[in-house]
Amino acid sequence: MSTELIKVTINGKDFEVPKGARLIDVCRDKGFDIPSFCYYSDLALQASCRMCLVRIEKMPKLQTSCTITCTDGMIVTTQSEEIEKAQRGMTEFLLANHPLDCPVCDRGGECELQEMTFDWGGLEERFTEKKNYYAERYLSPMVANDPQRCILCKRCTRVCDEWMGEEAIEAGGRGAHTVIGTYLGWLDCSQCGNCIEVCPTGTLLDATYRHQTRPWELAQTITTCNFCSDGCQMSLGSRGGEVRRSVARDRYVNGINGEFLCVKGRFGHPFINHDARIRTPMIRYKKGGKLIPATWDEAIRHVAERLDAVAEEHGRNSVGVVGSPRLTNEALHVLHKFTTELVGTENYTTTDAFSLKTFFQHLGGSLATHRDIRYAKTIVLIGGDPSELQPLTGKQIRQAVRNGGATLVLVNSVPIRLREQAKVFLHIRPKSEDAIALALFDVAADSLAAQKAGVEENAVAAARQAIADSTGDVVVMFGRELTDAAQAIVAQLPQKFAVQERRVLFHPLPLFNNSFGAHDMGMMDAPTSAREILNAAGDSIRALYVAGSFLPEHLEGHEGALSKLDFLVVQELFETETTAAADVLLPAASYAEQDGTFTNNDGLVQRVRQSIPALHQSKPDWVIISQLAKELGMDFGYELSASAVFREISEKVPAYSGMRYPLLKDETNPIQAKYEVVGPSNMSAELATVRECVEGLPNNGDKVMVTPEVGTELFKIGTLTDKVGQFHLLASGNPRPETTAISPLYQITSVKSVAETV
Amino acid sequence: MHIKAIGCEPLQLRRVHLERSRTLDVYRRNGGYEAIKKVLDGMSPDDVINEVKKSSLRGRGGAGFPTGMKWSFVPKDSPKPKYVVCNADESEPGTFKDRYLMERDPHMLIEGMLIAGYALNSKTGYIYTRGEYKYLIDIMDVALEEARAAGLVGNNILGTNFSCEIHTHTGAGAYICGEETALLSSLEGLRGHPRMKPPFPAVSGLYAAPTVVNNVETLTAVPDIIKMGGEAYQKLGTEKSGGTKLWSVSGHVNSPGVYELPMGYDDMEKFIMVDCGGMLNGKKLKAVIPGGSSVYIMRADQIIGKDVRMDYEGLVAAGSSVGSGGFIVMDETVDIFESTKNLTEFYKHESCGWCTPCREGTDWLVKVFKRIENGGGRIEDAQLMLDLCDNIEGKSFCPLGDAASWPIQSAIKRFPEDFKKRLLATD
Amino acid sequence: MSTQIVNIQPLSQPVDLGVEPATFSPQVEAEIDRHLAKYPVIRSAILPLMFIVQRERGYLDPPGVLYLANRLKLRVTDIWEVATFYSMIQTQPVGKYHIQICKTLSCKIRGAGKITEYCSQKLGIKVGETTADGRFTLSEVECLGSCGTAPMFQLNFDYHEDLTPEKIDQILDKLP
Ligand SMILES: Cc1cc2nc3c(=O)[nH]c(=O)nc-3n(C[C@H](O)[C@H](O)[C@H](O)COP(=O)(O)O)c2cc1C
Ligand code: SF4
Ligand code: FES
Repeated sequence: MSTELIKVTINGKDFEVPKGARLIDVCRDKGFDIPSFCYYSDLALQASCRMCLVRIEKMPKLQTSCTITCTDGMIVTTQSEEIEKAQRGMTEFLLANHPLDCPVCDRGGECELQEMTFDWGGLEERFTEKKNYYAERYLSPMVANDPQRCILCKRCTRVCDEWMGEEAIEAGGRGAHTVIGTYLGWLDCSQCGNCIEVCPTGTLLDATYRHQTRPWELAQTITTCNFCSDGCQMSLGSRGGEVRRSVARDRYVNGINGEFLCVKGRFGHPFINHDARIRTPMIRYKKGGKLIPATWDEAIRHVAERLDAVAEEHGRNSVGVVGSPRLTNEALHVLHKFTTELVGTENYTTTDAFSLKTFFQHLGGSLATHRDIRYAKTIVLIGGDPSELQPLTGKQIRQAVRNGGATLVLVNSVPIRLREQAKVFLHIRPKSEDAIALALFDVAADSLAAQKAGVEENAVAAARQAIADSTGDVVVMFGRELTDAAQAIVAQLPQKFAVQERRVLFHPLPLFNNSFGAHDMGMMDAPTSAREILNAAGDSIRALYVAGSFLPEHLEGHEGALSKLDFLVVQELFETETTAAADVLLPAASYAEQDGTFTNNDGLVQRVRQSIPALHQSKPDWVIISQLAKELGMDFGYELSASAVFREISEKVPAYSGMRYPLLKDETNPIQAKYEVVGPSNMSAELATVRECVEGLPNNGDKVMVTPEVGTELFKIGTLTDKVGQFHLLASGNPRPETTAISPLYQITSVKSVAETV
Repeated sequence: MHIKAIGCEPLQLRRVHLERSRTLDVYRRNGGYEAIKKVLDGMSPDDVINEVKKSSLRGRGGAGFPTGMKWSFVPKDSPKPKYVVCNADESEPGTFKDRYLMERDPHMLIEGMLIAGYALNSKTGYIYTRGEYKYLIDIMDVALEEARAAGLVGNNILGTNFSCEIHTHTGAGAYICGEETALLSSLEGLRGHPRMKPPFPAVSGLYAAPTVVNNVETLTAVPDIIKMGGEAYQKLGTEKSGGTKLWSVSGHVNSPGVYELPMGYDDMEKFIMVDCGGMLNGKKLKAVIPGGSSVYIMRADQIIGKDVRMDYEGLVAAGSSVGSGGFIVMDETVDIFESTKNLTEFYKHESCGWCTPCREGTDWLVKVFKRIENGGGRIEDAQLMLDLCDNIEGKSFCPLGDAASWPIQSAIKRFPEDFKKRLLATD
Repeated sequence: MSTQIVNIQPLSQPVDLGVEPATFSPQVEAEIDRHLAKYPVIRSAILPLMFIVQRERGYLDPPGVLYLANRLKLRVTDIWEVATFYSMIQTQPVGKYHIQICKTLSCKIRGAGKITEYCSQKLGIKVGETTADGRFTLSEVECLGSCGTAPMFQLNFDYHEDLTPEKIDQILDKLP
């Protein structure tokens, strides 16, 4: 939109508005209410509901304000008898075939049709004919469907198409018999449920929440998702100490993701109240013995004594500390403080398999926000698969290309789904990402890279050309495939591509909700990695304090390592491979039961808010560690206040300086950490390292030719999704049950065995 | 079935009665492909457009938009390919003229498309034919093959550097695909929903490229316009409605058929009573829908003794419009309530379902009609139907909504007795 | 549906319908290729191809739908959304002979109702039904452009006009 201002007159008042502004937005912005159903600012125009009618002088008929671009001197009327009659008429039409049994509809109370009818509809019900009937059904384990309630605004088909690129749900039939659905009525997609979110009526519904509560009985808590590093804002709806659903409806929350969530964010929450949560502290008094419930005092005392004893006997460095990148910044900070100031060990790390240390050391430009990505004109993506691992980023890339005409340069060893949007796709051999990174920095490496990556001689040049040919900021993203040295080079790409008016922005793609925070809180400062700690377990490391659990990929090849320790303490929600060897098990509270912050892959520091009281005897991780510290003789002095912890963080971590909880309270205006940007640096050492690495790559080898199916990563069963029956159905290939009239969950009863047999 | 010209020399119908009229040979021996030759022999694209402008040719598909003007909207400097699309979807109830033009004189259409292609610098044309007219697609395919073999379609037409390929395309049963933007959606392989205008197809049409959509009869008029000159063609008709027009006549007349009349033919009553052989079985005229189902229905007394002039302006003055020229004649036995119900069912069946008023409005109206038919009529139903029509008219996404409401509005107003007796029945 | 968004390279996605896609003879494949060659965007060929699949298989059955999806590089749901929009595309089996009687105004006032009644009686089925032997399906359709030769029906693709009961006997009785 240009900055030039033009004059429009609305209801007799003059306004200056940017040239090219959309009339409906302008009217609403100026305080003139305009009803609409199909208009959705982040989707292609539809203009089908005909609710947003206005009168524009010199135009013959009423006009849909959603399709009108303001022109200079335009004279608009938004309220008149004629317009009100039309709006009443449209509402009446929409209600004609719509069941008027709002009390039994899950959407009742937050239904846009209901609200529009109150605000704009007539009083009289003139439709006395028989309504068209369609049976209720399930479209998938996640999506329930009541076709009768549909007003055909097609927001659902548009989000599926434009946001997700899946085109899984479409309109079939014609005229009054149009229904939203799929071929054979089964929804084969990533199950993001965004169609549910944008549905203004009770047509598409959360199948996991059917008939549970009325929306107004839910307490809404705005918080940050605890799955991937995108950090979507969501509203947890809770009642009676139980989290019932998670939504991103703009009436409750309005964060970086708008109304977008992925399958995990939307449907992954049932782990919170799951029966398998660890309920009390437990102590294994004897190796090989049983874990026996204990009081917090006993447990804390026991841990303090044993850690003291090990440190005494084997030295401080014999105690290892490991924190999960899922914990809050507060927990990670307290853990770091505990580690460095109290225990004094050099053996600490996080259970993230993707360290961003060298990237941040060489950071040559700012971090891109998700908004920057949505409106970017050039995107370079090296490795990764955001559609599966950082779904919001995937959506932003797709929309940048589809709705914004951006150029996507894709470098990947797998023909991931985003290649559909790519202008240039370098389909490289596995593990040759470094080669391309090297060549992007250093033209001289073009042919070496081409040879190792198995792409055309001029492929890197073509990618470079595509970047040069496009305009605007360049957003560079990369996945965990890049080695540390290659990350450093990428971080310095601004040297090569930033010119006047053209910034290079970065968007690393780590895997966890607080991978960034784990880095920022210093938990990645030590030179040790999780695998190294496991290697040393039982040798130089005798005791281990783990907040969270090791990843399966860490434990692979180190199966017995944990049981070789003299003493293992684990804070967890659930029993895992790691807890199996624990000598003390401490019940941690989930993100829904505590206050705190997560830092997402934009560097945005976002609030986590307590939605329900901590379950059973669990406590937030940082509280547990503070109590342990106190027992060991050091009072951190937070007085059970997460905001006090955060204040300390803001004082200690320069990128967070000046931040306070009150400043972070508005999820619509998130605050980005101020990471230090280093100027162009001499990269010869890093280049040499990477070149050596690249030269060592084979000159031939097979490429991955198959596009991974939707859900390859999203539907993988992890500790948390394991607790959600529906995920097991998805992981088993989302089989279509015998009838779609009943939830598949009740038809395929032995969910676990379904998972095991497939 | 009668196919003939009245009040003028047959122009569009010149060859329809010739033996083997659909062959290239017969077409050529009767003046065919002379116009494209004339065009390629020295007319510029702008010359062609100017002739068409001078002819006052107005689109014969129903909207009556001046064809020359439509052609001049196509941006000359656009780097995109340009498309000429022939609208042969002919699904308007009561309309069947395009069918006979294509069946009997397919080369005339090809020639018209070539000239349009030349004028618009387009290298590709599509003939979108309704799926039910499969036999016409076969006829067009044969004709195109003949023309291709004779160097009249394809590369370097008639040895010049003008190239234009023409393809047939099939619809599959959807009236809405006659609406030009829905037709383009359908041609792109999508559901046949209309699209937002602007952008108009002339700027962003098929595959988002500049596109001109014209009715069969519009395009088949073009060769004659070129041959006789725009002015001469215009003079066949009136100042604002140039040339001749085909009328598809059906219903209760002795000689239904396709009639070519000069625009401004002076008497509608004579047309029915004499030219079309008069009323079937000598019954009395009750009503006429003159322009395909999507126009106002006329009472006999709006026609008899009224000297209704048959052109765009004349019909509007008489209380209806030319539309597609589908002339449906109804005698005294017809119950206008029933005929209106019949048409409303048509519109309900054909509503694409995109927009609220048309989708829900037609569904509702059909339900009201059915209820009344089954004896459940209420005195307020007439008002209800008029109000529903008012809520559709002018509010729908495309003109189908308007088209659905006009027959009802005019029927209730002009034939209140046929409605009233049903509404009172239950009182 | 992606209105107005062209230039997006479609991605064929493996879909598991539990059936194998239909296969066709080389002649039919060649016919399909001819249609595909007409358009710069393959999706445009969807309706012509649907008619071919329908001709070869009676209706768009799951193997036919899968074939179309693969051939047009679309998702099966894309085939579904288009197929169900157009009244001539059959997503359910129909009889070998599909009698489609025009019921719109011009035909109606020239006796379409009687034609329907006669056919219905003769075949022993109601409108919308198929005879038990699968030979005949009887449908009423909207205006077929034969208003001047009303009443009429279309038998598969053939127009039969100015119908009378005798004429119907002749037409139906000599069908193989
Ligand atoms: C609902 C609807 C149906 C239409 N059907 C047809 C049709 O079957 N044939 C046709 O030529 N035009 C039809 N039109 C008109 C077209 O939209 C368009 O105006 C026409 O093809 C332009 O060609 P012309 O300028 O040569 O008339 C229809 C319009 C509407 C709104
Ligand atoms: S008026 Fe609306 S529903 Fe009717 S055909 Fe046009 S777009 Fe479709
Ligand atoms: S919001 Fe404008 S038509 Fe629906």
